[in-house]
Amino acid sequence: MAFGADAHAHGVAEGDKGYIQEITGIHLLPFMYLGAKHMVTGYDHLLFLFGVIFFLYRPSHIGIYVSLFAIGHSTTLLLGVIFDTNVSSYLIDAIIGLSVVYKALDNLGAYQRWFGFQPNTKLATLVFGLFHGFGLATKIREFDIAPDGLIPNLLAFNVGVEVGQLLALAAILILMGYWRRTDSFWRHAYTANVAMMTAGFMLTGYQLTGWFVI
Amino acid sequence: MYNTDIPSRAELPSSAQLVRSTLIAATTAAALLVTTILPAEYGIDPTGIGRVLGLTQMGEIKAQLAEEAEQDRLFDQGGTPAAPQAPAAPDQRSSLMDTLLAQIVIAPASAETLPAATLPAQVAQAGRTDETSVTLAPGEGVEVKMEMRKGAQATYSWKTEGGVVNHDTHGEPYDAPNKTHSYSKGRGVASDQGTLQAAFDGNHGWFWRNRGDGTVTVTLSTSGDYENLKRKK
Repeated sequence: MAFGADAHAHGVAEGDKGYIQEITGIHLLPFMYLGAKHMVTGYDHLLFLFGVIFFLYRPSHIGIYVSLFAIGHSTTLLLGVIFDTNVSSYLIDAIIGLSVVYKALDNLGAYQRWFGFQPNTKLATLVFGLFHGFGLATKIREFDIAPDGLIPNLLAFNVGVEVGQLLALAAILILMGYWRRTDSFWRHAYTANVAMMTAGFMLTGYQLTGWFVI
Repeated sequence: MYNTDIPSRAELPSSAQLVRSTLIAATTAAALLVTTILPAEYGIDPTGIGRVLGLTQMGEIKAQLAEEAEQDRLFDQGGTPAAPQAPAAPDQRSSLMDTLLAQIVIAPASAETLPAATLPAQVAQAGRTDETSVTLAPGEGVEVKMEMRKGAQATYSWKTEGGVVNHDTHGEPYDAPNKTHSYSKGRGVASDQGTLQAAFDGNHGWFWRNRGDGTVTVTLSTSGDYENLKRKK
């Protein structure tokens, strides 16, 4: 019996992480899929994206802001993994939570009211894009990708992130399209941004607690 | 509130536009679901596209890992009462363990019938040498373990034929069989060698998995202070 109990006991990672730990070499489409999945299921990114486009109506404006966000997170995603940065994912995710709070206050006009000026919204989107990319980089590092084929796989993951962002954006825009056409949109817009801010604070508290506790 | 001027009613999308967008979104989602998501998450590939894209393999690996983890959990539940330090009592095994383990003895397990207290003496005179090989079909994993006392050393070398394997060279203590201690790990490796020094009394050895497309044979040579060499699974 002394031999029995260990037959399966070596640590088995499940799901995406387990898959990534089992493969080597270049797997472009699987990594693209994982990038897209990460974006579509990543509520922190979706919440920030929702805040960014909340008061954007013209497709050209939406294009500019989403591209700035994409440039930001692609840069730090690649640099973070290539240079092997080692920042606590709790800390990064806490900052991402704050980015949601920042954007909600921005949408509410708080900076104009409090400080009498409007911070550059495009610059803020780019800077927070950089933080979101660091968050992605930290998560990928936790996945423990094989060095064999790392760069092509990472680029594929990044392309997938953009594909996922576009898919998520399309869904958000359609829902907001219906919402904006209702007369109540302007009455609810304020509340919606307050709710978004609440969620942002919640994420921050959740992650900061993790940083201190774990 | 800020970001842009309030749009005129005419700038908002029309109702027809919105309905069309919704239909496009629903169609796209359905197409992605059957060609991409079901293959990649569950290995379910109704169109065959997932296999071409390499996503079905992801789903199959995930499903396999989930199943193995579930077996671990079942085993933990079924195995806990009999597991702690109960050497050499096959009749204590539950039928669940029998079905899960299906152990194959590679080398004579002389130590298995001895009381635990006499083992150290046995170790002192036992310097063994073994050569063994295992054959792995694609996706298959196997464990080969040596029973060793804390501090005992064994040298080993293994190499593969027909492909490469992932390995986790590790050990588990007798009294905590689920506390795996990993000595080294590797992916897509064709050979490895070294000295394994047991970090505790327990089973120490190799887990190999073939993630390639063809059958792989792993040949292992060991020599040193261990009591037996056994294949698991």
